[in-house]
Amino acid sequence: METSNSRMEGARPPELRITRVFDAPKQLVFEAWTKAEHLSRWFTPAPLTTHGCQLDFRPGGVFRLTMRTPDGIEFPMDARFTEIVPDERIAFAATVHGDLKILTTVTFAETTNGKTTLAVHQVYSHESDATRGANAGWTLTLDQLAAALRG
Amino acid sequence: MTADHLTATFAALADPTRRAILTRLARGEANVTELARPFDMSQPAISKHLKVLERAGLISRGREAQSRPCRLSASRLKEATEWMERYRKFWEQSFDRLDEFLVDLKKEKSRGDK
Repeated sequence: METSNSRMEGARPPELRITRVFDAPKQLVFEAWTKAEHLSRWFTPAPLTTHGCQLDFRPGGVFRLTMRTPDGIEFPMDARFTEIVPDERIAFAATVHGDLKILTTVTFAETTNGKTTLAVHQVYSHESDATRGANAGWTLTLDQLAAALRG
Repeated sequence: MTADHLTATFAALADPTRRAILTRLARGEANVTELARPFDMSQPAISKHLKVLERAGLISRGREAQSRPCRLSASRLKEATEWMERYRKFWEQSFDRLDEFLVDLKKEKSRGDK
């Protein structure tokens, strides 16, 4: 059902791959990503809640939301869609810690029994001043988020 | 772990030559001459990459004046891997909620169809 691994060494940049099979057709799984009101209901890990989700679902469009802990600590996320292929693929780029760029690609594959395999692939790379996108910035810090989830 | 550490680690890992050097060092220590051999690169060019890796704490170098053997320092790589693992946990928890959400979305759709 579920596999994941992280790689740090070798000829490829640091990356993370996660897959999960959902009992729903891929059009429905894709739809869950296409609207702010949908994403607000599942994207943020419990017990955090989602606030102010803004979604401009097209290449170049913004993907912003704020995650809030039960005691009110907020973690904003600010990304931009780089690619959207309906029912097939969504990619978005964000920056953490100022220079570290994360490109997330989500792919949707329907299996024969009407289920959908969702695969998330994240590549981590350093962005120089020369190549930095002007506005994309993921200010969520995972150290804090992990602490909040433990708390 | 500080943000500066992470940025330095991922900046060092951004280059394919440096990743190849780390892969080589994972098999055991080596000096500049040995590290330069598989690449179409001068020793000074390799030395520059080694300095970046050393500054990022990904390798350490021996004190012997001539050969200065390089070896992998696993702790910084481990920190970066642990940081990535947090993302894995994040997605798995999100997927748990997505699973529940899809059940609701199906119900909402079937009600809407009637």
